[in-house]
Amino acid sequence: MAENAVSLEGVSLVFGGEDTEHVLAVDTINLEIPQGEFVAIVGPSGCGKTTILNMLSGLIKPTVGSVKRHGKEVDGPSRDIGYMLARSALSPWRTARKNVELGLQIHGVPKSQRREKAEELLTLLHLDGFANSFPSQLSQGMRQRVAIARTLAIDPDLWLMDEPFGALDAQTRLVVQAEFISLWEKSKESTVIFVTHDLEEAVLLADRVLVMTARPGRIKSDNIIDLPRPRVIDELRFDEKFKAAEHKIWKELRDEII
Amino acid sequence: MKSSSEEPSQENQVTTNQVEDRFDLSALPKETTSQKVIRRIDLPVQFTRIAILAFIIWIWQSRKIFAGVNVFGIDILPEIIPLFQGVPTEAWDYILKVWDDKLFWEDFWVTLQEALLGFTYGALSGFIVGMVLGRFRKAQKVFSPFLIFTNAVPKIALAPILILWYGVDIGSKVALATIIVFFIVQIPVMAAVSGVDPDLDTVASSMGANQMQKFRLVVIPSILGPLFGALRLASIYAILSVVFGEFLASKRGLGQRLLYQINNFGMGAAIALMSLLAILALFFNAGIGFMERKFLRWQDDSTRGNVVSL
Repeated sequence: MAENAVSLEGVSLVFGGEDTEHVLAVDTINLEIPQGEFVAIVGPSGCGKTTILNMLSGLIKPTVGSVKRHGKEVDGPSRDIGYMLARSALSPWRTARKNVELGLQIHGVPKSQRREKAEELLTLLHLDGFANSFPSQLSQGMRQRVAIARTLAIDPDLWLMDEPFGALDAQTRLVVQAEFISLWEKSKESTVIFVTHDLEEAVLLADRVLVMTARPGRIKSDNIIDLPRPRVIDELRFDEKFKAAEHKIWKELRDEII
Repeated sequence: MKSSSEEPSQENQVTTNQVEDRFDLSALPKETTSQKVIRRIDLPVQFTRIAILAFIIWIWQSRKIFAGVNVFGIDILPEIIPLFQGVPTEAWDYILKVWDDKLFWEDFWVTLQEALLGFTYGALSGFIVGMVLGRFRKAQKVFSPFLIFTNAVPKIALAPILILWYGVDIGSKVALATIIVFFIVQIPVMAAVSGVDPDLDTVASSMGANQMQKFRLVVIPSILGPLFGALRLASIYAILSVVFGEFLASKRGLGQRLLYQINNFGMGAAIALMSLLAILALFFNAGIGFMERKFLRWQDDSTRGNVVSL
């Protein structure tokens, strides 16, 4: 049997020490994610969702337990992970295209290849007229799309998304979600771990929704979302099967929030 | 254009070309090249400036300012004895006299060299130390007390010691300018590096950037604004430092000439030399402003400093 794309075994993380109190951020997480699965993690704020992404990206190490990708222990940042933050975090001095090229530049990809890749992605995200605009000249929705393009430019095998659409207004969010999901459905082989506080978003996009408890974060339930793909998310919102799935998970999430 | 709609298909429809297709732009008011030049020059502003300058030269040349101005019993401008008076035409005469004087231009070069060297050494070392201490908290913790104390020393007071140590030639002036410029650059650079957006850092780290790449791609571009602000100030202070150093003890230099003229009541010459030093500082400043505009192209004009501003 092939190794899972991501596996966490008995992972706990303690923050603080020295002159602050110890805080248990996540507690004994066990998780297996096969290649190509879209997993959403929902939970109350401060439950350690982002901490899980930081451990997967290799930015921090768990206190105990093991974090593995394709059966190998994660040891520092890896070139085939795309990590997108809640804020677009674009470099204000770089044009949209140059921002998309950032990861490729770090990886030492030649200029012409970088440019080609960035332009291709900007076109896919309907930003082809704005390649030479600076972030300050773009709307929030456009900035977030540039950040998506930057995350995907390095052709990551694992996409880590940390509330990527949290700052967008409701309509813009629908448009960007639809673009994002179609990019993923096209890539199909990529694994996505998508952290959000928005349950509707989680159910609309993911194959599987994990509900986390309030701090210390544990996995409370693991729900398979059995909705067909490709998904037309703006219509799917009104589908009865979708509503039933969302309602079932909401009951569990509610206990953690209230 | 960008706010027309968030719907991506529509966003792309409204490109510049189609605006021209869909609207009759010839109906909009058009500006000829000469009208544009006139608007740029802004004649009323220029006339007012020239009028003010002419007024200053006239009131100075007519020696009216030397008669004294007394407001409510306070001598805002005291009465000046004729020996200490100097007027613009005397300054102009001095310029004409020294223009062909080889020794004068040697002095000019000495001062320029001192200022350029002091500025370069001070700015480079201040930049490097500021970057390293801003980036590595432990190093900042160790060195901060030393830097704070050294900065608190009235650095002008070091000048006599530096003359003893480095001699009366350019070495002592370069050393003084280096020390003064160092702190002007190091402190804001360190603060700016500490304040770099941590998200930009996280993004670069997650993509596997090493420390050198993060310096080059994240830290340096982030701090260019404060860095250029510091360099503008430093350029003025570099000239100030070397002139002061020359006042104390020197063989050559414009500052040395200036002190000589004042000691011999050559007030017109002193005015000419001070004006020349100011022009030198402005050229210095304009050079930095030119680089700033090149590197900070992405910023709005409004947030960028003016060429002449300090």
